[in-house]
Amino acid sequence: MNTFAEIVQSNQAWLCLDCGKCSSVCPITLHLVDGYTSPRLLVEGAVNSGEDRVLEDPLLWSCLTCQRCTEICPSGVQFSEFIHDARQLAWEKGQSGDCTHSGTIQSWMRMMTDPALEQNRLDWIDDDLRIAPESEVIYFPGCLPYYDTVFGDLDVEGTEIARAAVKILNHLGIEPMVLENERCCGHDSYWQGDMDTFRKLAELNLEAISQTGAKRLVTTCPECAYTLKSTYPEQVGSLGLEVLHITELLAEDDNLQKLFPTNSPELYPVTYQDPCRLGRFMGIYQQPRDLIQNLGYQLVEMDHYAHTSTCCGTSCWTTCGQLNKKVQSERLMEARSTGAEKLITSCVKCQIHYKCAQRDPISGSEIQIDIQDLTTLIAEKI
Amino acid sequence: MNKVAAKQKIILFTCNWHAFSSLEAAGKNNLVYSPALVPIRISCLGRITSGIILKAFEGGAAGVCLIGCPEGECRYQNGNQEAREVFEESRTLLRLLGYNENLLQYHLVSAGDGESFQENIDQLVKNIQDNRKTR
Repeated sequence: MNTFAEIVQSNQAWLCLDCGKCSSVCPITLHLVDGYTSPRLLVEGAVNSGEDRVLEDPLLWSCLTCQRCTEICPSGVQFSEFIHDARQLAWEKGQSGDCTHSGTIQSWMRMMTDPALEQNRLDWIDDDLRIAPESEVIYFPGCLPYYDTVFGDLDVEGTEIARAAVKILNHLGIEPMVLENERCCGHDSYWQGDMDTFRKLAELNLEAISQTGAKRLVTTCPECAYTLKSTYPEQVGSLGLEVLHITELLAEDDNLQKLFPTNSPELYPVTYQDPCRLGRFMGIYQQPRDLIQNLGYQLVEMDHYAHTSTCCGTSCWTTCGQLNKKVQSERLMEARSTGAEKLITSCVKCQIHYKCAQRDPISGSEIQIDIQDLTTLIAEKI
Repeated sequence: MNKVAAKQKIILFTCNWHAFSSLEAAGKNNLVYSPALVPIRISCLGRITSGIILKAFEGGAAGVCLIGCPEGECRYQNGNQEAREVFEESRTLLRLLGYNENLLQYHLVSAGDGESFQENIDQLVKNIQDNRKTR
């Protein structure tokens, strides 16, 4: 574990110019309910006052690690990674943020660290979907089967997304492998600072995936994609295959041609929510847009889109409250103000958070807009 | 009484009203029930969540029993109905995780009925212990 001085140095926190650009774009700072805090103040506190100042700041746990601040920072301060490292330090001292959903999700992540676990997670695979025991392509559905159970009351597309993904892959002539015993990718453990759980999950996945001999791994979750592609090599080792979010695979020229051989009829206007991990972390902005336009929809952008897109308001199943609901409600109003009839996402967590926010009876119709995952939208058209 | 090994323990969540009163009645009448049970009293069974249940399994419990007030007699109107939903959701999560879903049991008992408590809880413990073989 790094000392606090090393955390400040490795994330370039000491290069902060006090310009406050980060504070002007931080969705948490914008919607603070009690007291004032900001990325700038936290970094200043880290440099001038040290560890205790940072561990007491509520932003340590409410930060969404959405990377908006890092993206705009003229000094290259890695604020999201700074937050991760500081959370790791705090976690090892026995501190943590407030787990949402009564800690159910954190519990199942930790239960999945048991190497002897034999999950029953493939019930979603219908008879009309073709999967293979060995294949060059792995489809990694992540925690979708579990989300079906916990978020069924929100009408969230959980395993519908997984079914849609396999249906599309089949359409492209790919019969993917789906691992019976894949574990949670560990994204949320990592960003919560629980590195022990993260490493155990990652090592189990690394072993299971690298044994398959597959060449590509496709996932419908941007968080899984980023974690498997970038965090695993840094922390536990490379999977030895190419990791792709499904939008990357589908937007390849050959696949676009197979999916949309003729021009689609012109459809109604839609808008698109860039997930933080897919956009700012992985730089994938154009592929989902190409797919939406090929489907025939008229894409109308929100005020904050692509690099400047706003996070869906909650991260790593930690700290959700009035402030987070404000971030979500405001984003839904922004989506409605475009005149779009549908808000398309390519991350199940964006969908969960927005559909939860839409249950707010006070905002009512102001934040109602149809929300759908891009994968299921494509699957409907083939 | 023999000490029960941590991995044999069955966590018994009981509500503060009918269920706890029946547990107390069993105690007052010297009715013997399994020493594997670790009762935890909560204000209402509606307070239970899937996170609390999974936490018990994560900590190594052999099983979890939920006991609450009879239908229509919840002190807080619908706590036992909410607990039923949590019970179903938790069983699905356990099944996904490869646990035997019968390691989680649910029962409603009437206040002050120690004998019924003893009889039912023995059956729940038996259900759990019979199913432990699979996990």
